[in-house]
Amino acid sequence: MDERLRETLSAMMDDEADELSVRRLLSQADQDGVRSQWRRWQEIRDLMHDNHGPAAGMDIAGAVRERLDSQRGVQPQPAASTGRDVKAVSWHWPVAAMVTLALVIGFGAGTGWDARNSQPLATSTVPAGAQQNAALLPTGTDELALQGLDEEQRRQMRQFLLEHAQHNSVGVGRGSVGYARLVSASDGY
Amino acid sequence: MGLAGRLPLRALLMSLLLLVPAAVLADSGNSSGGQEPRSASEWLEQLGPALNMTSYRGVFVYSRGAQVQSLRIVHRYREGRVEERLVLQDGAGGEIVRKGMDVVCVLPDQGRVRLDDVIPSGPFAEAFSTQFMPVGQWYRPERVGEDRIAGYDVVTIALRARDENRYSYRLWLEKNTGLLIKSHVTDTDGRVLEHFQFTSLDITDDISDDELKVQTSGREIARTLGPKEGDHSSVGRMNGWTLDWRPAGFEPAAAPRSGNGKAVAFSDGLAAFSVFVEPVGRLKMPTGVSRVGATTIYMREVSVGERTFLIAVVGEVPPPTARKVAESVQIDNELSAEMPGS
Repeated sequence: MDERLRETLSAMMDDEADELSVRRLLSQADQDGVRSQWRRWQEIRDLMHDNHGPAAGMDIAGAVRERLDSQRGVQPQPAASTGRDVKAVSWHWPVAAMVTLALVIGFGAGTGWDARNSQPLATSTVPAGAQQNAALLPTGTDELALQGLDEEQRRQMRQFLLEHAQHNSVGVGRGSVGYARLVSASDGY
Repeated sequence: MGLAGRLPLRALLMSLLLLVPAAVLADSGNSSGGQEPRSASEWLEQLGPALNMTSYRGVFVYSRGAQVQSLRIVHRYREGRVEERLVLQDGAGGEIVRKGMDVVCVLPDQGRVRLDDVIPSGPFAEAFSTQFMPVGQWYRPERVGEDRIAGYDVVTIALRARDENRYSYRLWLEKNTGLLIKSHVTDTDGRVLEHFQFTSLDITDDISDDELKVQTSGREIARTLGPKEGDHSSVGRMNGWTLDWRPAGFEPAAAPRSGNGKAVAFSDGLAAFSVFVEPVGRLKMPTGVSRVGATTIYMREVSVGERTFLIAVVGEVPPPTARKVAESVQIDNELSAEMPGS
């Protein structure tokens, strides 16, 4: 078991979910890969937290989507209590888990996600409802508009992003964020 | 060079790669280990120093749009010097090791992440915003709660945009050091456009020299960062063009190095956008708007006399703002005459 994944997992368990990543994950074409990663993740989680997860082989994508949709519009619970309520954790975990899973697969794929190289959305595995929700996400249409760029144009675009990122958070100085933007700019487009 | 002479670099350095010499920050105050700041603004003031003067190791994840990056970082502040090592966790890896102003970048043999693009090849942009900007004027800071992330107690600060020309922020800061552990950039509907977060973190002064050594084998590129002598002239001038309109609070903040054009960055203290004005040469760029997470790119072409220029606005601002800025660029006839065609 990769130490990095364990750390990621541990951290994400305590945190709220990033719905964007989860939905993005669900639109990946390789749902079999997702499933097998999920099962592995389950084992890890059980190991760490000494409790049971859903049975292996369940329809994870569907379940998570359902969970996400049912949470839509639900306010996160106020973080007033300092003690970590067991119930609260279990309420949170499916989404947190999916984020972790998203990260795992991101690492596994080795490149992060890149709209340019991904297959068209796997419509056969994604219910219509989820598709509509996905279309509302900010990543949707705008990014696709640049897919027609040739290598030279992408390079120029990257250059703009990079130069901007180099002086990005002047004033406040957000350190690692600025750095991450640099890396991100060098990777995309 | 005296302290006063170095101050103008401060804001820039903080923004860039965690790189801040101690002398520059010596007057900033650092309440690390001291009493806990109370208000949202006090937390914010602590943010910059905390990023550099805290020693830690960890892994952080950054996502915007369809991109997700993960980096492992070791950051040590000792005897007034920042040393750090960053290892890309994605693709074929690669790493960057920095000791003070010296940077060594190791490229993997293969892989899509272009580290040589990450290390700026020229002198850094020179920031002339030396003061912490009055963020509160453009954002409504509020301490919204406490949480626990990556094993640390954090305080959550919300910065809600006071107008629609900018995005809102949410920052999670570690309680003792003020270190930024997580951040969100959100639009007016509260959707998260950009997400940064440490997934594992160990704040400790116990970081050995070995952890800061290059461990990847591959092609090495070494550079020493810093402004070149006598390279202070171009700062602050929007050479050859002006903006008729810009969102309130955004002041010229840095003059980034640019290949063949004129570029200036504007910041309101939190968000920034860059305006590039370049002559259109052989390469034809598409025009219109696009975005990656919280970053908008708006491009348009404009003709002055017989020359055509590409105006690109890139920044963490909503698309309508970027568009309005791009449309307000006025190019002087002078620039038109001076620019070489290609």
